[in-house]
Amino acid sequence: MYRYDEFDHAFVSARVEQFKDQVERRLAGELTEDQFRPLRLMNGVYLQLHAYMLRVAIPYGTLSARQMRKLAHIARTYDRGYGHFTTRQNLQYNWPALKDMPKVLDELAEVEMHALQTSGNCIRNVTADHFAGAAADEVADPRPYAEILRQWSSMHPEFSYLPRKFKIAVTGAERDRAAIQVHDIGLHLKRNEAGEIGFAVYVGGGQGRTPMVAKKIRDFLPVEDLLTYTTAIMRVYNLNGRRDNKYKARIKILVHETGTEELTRQVETEWLALKNSDLKLPQTDVDAIDSYFRPPHLPLRPEGWSALAGARKADHAFAAWVDQNVTPHKNPDYGVVTISLKPIGGIPGDATDAQMDLVADIAEQFSQDEIRVSHEQNLILPHVAIADLRIVYDLLLTDGLATANAGLITDIIACPGLDYCALATARSIPVAQRISERFADPARQADIGELKLKISGCINACGHHHVGHIGILGVEKKGEELYQISLGGSGDEVCTIGDITGRGFSSEEIVDAIETIVDRYLEVRTDKEETFLAAYRRLGAAPFKDALYSEAANAA
Amino acid sequence: MTDISEKPESQLWGREGFREDPYITVETLEEAGDAPAVILPLAVWLGLDEGVRNATNRRIGVSIAPGESIDPLLPLLGSIPVIALQFPAFNDGRSYSKAEVLKDRHQFQGELRAVGDVLIDQVAYMLRTGFDTLKVTHAVTLTRLADHNLHDTPVYYQPGRGSHTKAGTYSWRRVPDTQ
Repeated sequence: MYRYDEFDHAFVSARVEQFKDQVERRLAGELTEDQFRPLRLMNGVYLQLHAYMLRVAIPYGTLSARQMRKLAHIARTYDRGYGHFTTRQNLQYNWPALKDMPKVLDELAEVEMHALQTSGNCIRNVTADHFAGAAADEVADPRPYAEILRQWSSMHPEFSYLPRKFKIAVTGAERDRAAIQVHDIGLHLKRNEAGEIGFAVYVGGGQGRTPMVAKKIRDFLPVEDLLTYTTAIMRVYNLNGRRDNKYKARIKILVHETGTEELTRQVETEWLALKNSDLKLPQTDVDAIDSYFRPPHLPLRPEGWSALAGARKADHAFAAWVDQNVTPHKNPDYGVVTISLKPIGGIPGDATDAQMDLVADIAEQFSQDEIRVSHEQNLILPHVAIADLRIVYDLLLTDGLATANAGLITDIIACPGLDYCALATARSIPVAQRISERFADPARQADIGELKLKISGCINACGHHHVGHIGILGVEKKGEELYQISLGGSGDEVCTIGDITGRGFSSEEIVDAIETIVDRYLEVRTDKEETFLAAYRRLGAAPFKDALYSEAANAA
Repeated sequence: MTDISEKPESQLWGREGFREDPYITVETLEEAGDAPAVILPLAVWLGLDEGVRNATNRRIGVSIAPGESIDPLLPLLGSIPVIALQFPAFNDGRSYSKAEVLKDRHQFQGELRAVGDVLIDQVAYMLRTGFDTLKVTHAVTLTRLADHNLHDTPVYYQPGRGSHTKAGTYSWRRVPDTQ
């Protein structure tokens, strides 16, 4: 893991001191809320429906046990005993008092964390594949590059007042687990024919009210050009991105209106002038950052396989959890464990202080002191020996963390919605809870198979509904909450935006509607191997629309 | 808190502190009378006779709105004493990129000035992207500048004006020259 040096410490503590001064001035009435607003936003402090909300950055979703314990401590001491993990690999506290914010930031700084650039029209927390450094299918670890981008983008003098927020994601495997094609910039780390490492560069993806899949503007960018090329993209966007309309200000609109070819030309022209500037990365620096992310030494544990076979046979629930929540690791004696934060009927992404402490303890003992936050709002233990799976499972079970539903229909992504968010137009959490309860039966979930269901409580799409195999968008119509369904979206390497089925459903109807779609899928799939997404891609929307609307008509 | 109901006179500030502003900003040259130093809008400036632009008895600078391109100025930079880049609102960041291009790529030697909604939180960014002077109206900002409180960080993660590399750390990092 990256560790702060003196330079990083000096930077973060200076920012905390500045914010302390600003909070004191606000509390003393020297600053109005209007004057305070841009200052607090720079530090990740939002004003939500009921209270201030603090969004803590978790760079590329990587945490140590010590950091997780600190997050638990803050939840216990300054909040109501829980935190909410977000789709951008961050953590949100919903109830901290403004007077405590400087103390919270101090506590975070103790464990090399902060809340900088988690809001505002700047380059936000850089995200990465949550299986980075562990997954069997990885070409190279994307985190060193995400860390270089994190540093370079911190309080950037030229790019802190962009037309709109800017999100960068990096992945290091063909299988895209970081949804890079729905980011402002998506970087796909790969090898060229000569075996060198570089990036395919995607620009202009995004969700929100105008969802778009990113365009590839470069097939291979050498590593040394990472910062010069990113600067070129940022500059073209900063100068030319629209500022007349907040909803047309993201780079996806610039790409769309300029045309991919012309935009690529502008970026390449700008880059030619920057290519050999001070930002060209020396290999020694890349190596130095890379050394923080060296794979941990994992002792051989071949005894795990026979133990696992026995444990599976003895306990069906454990076997289901292994099948669903453990992913192949680079080292065959190890696995990557997904800790589901989606208990049946629970709030997606929420974890209590005790759960965070428990995960920290397990990570320290059984996962090389490492934890990841996934954009799917789960936690990951990246390096667990197969031999330790049973004990890890038993420990997770003690506090409701062993739900065997990773990637299944109850592994729902949901934004905070109208229960917390000042922008929301409908509730998301209660809908997620009711769907989760409806599909609670593990056998039924397993039969349905992989199905990504994502819910947003407004058009801003924080719940990623556009790329849900089934997406739900909550809107407000004539004072009532109405839920639109879209089908066939996907945020992976074959990225697609879901198609809206037709008229929306009321809060009472929505769960039945989802069940109707799922039942129709079970009828039409060729066999169990054909996932919902594959069936949708084969058949299109017709059979599902037919089920939804003709049945509704019949009922009426 | 400084009373902002009374709008203070705008003042010109640079790294060395407050200074006299010899320039007046006008819409046309006629309006300037015989003032020795004037700043004109880009379109007006471009319309001037070359002889007038380069006259030795008066300095004529140019003001650029965020939506205007600096490209027509690039071949003429040697003859421009001051370029004023506008910040109609603090959150319009286009002029930062223009400052970088003018100072870093084209080595503009004249005075680069920020005008408009210049707030204390932007001052360090403006200096680092290449601005020499800031025309400041905001009362709190004036007070802070007078106190030499620039709201800056002790280290930077990017190259920029007024900073230098430090041995033993990454190539993109810098420390302020004042340290």
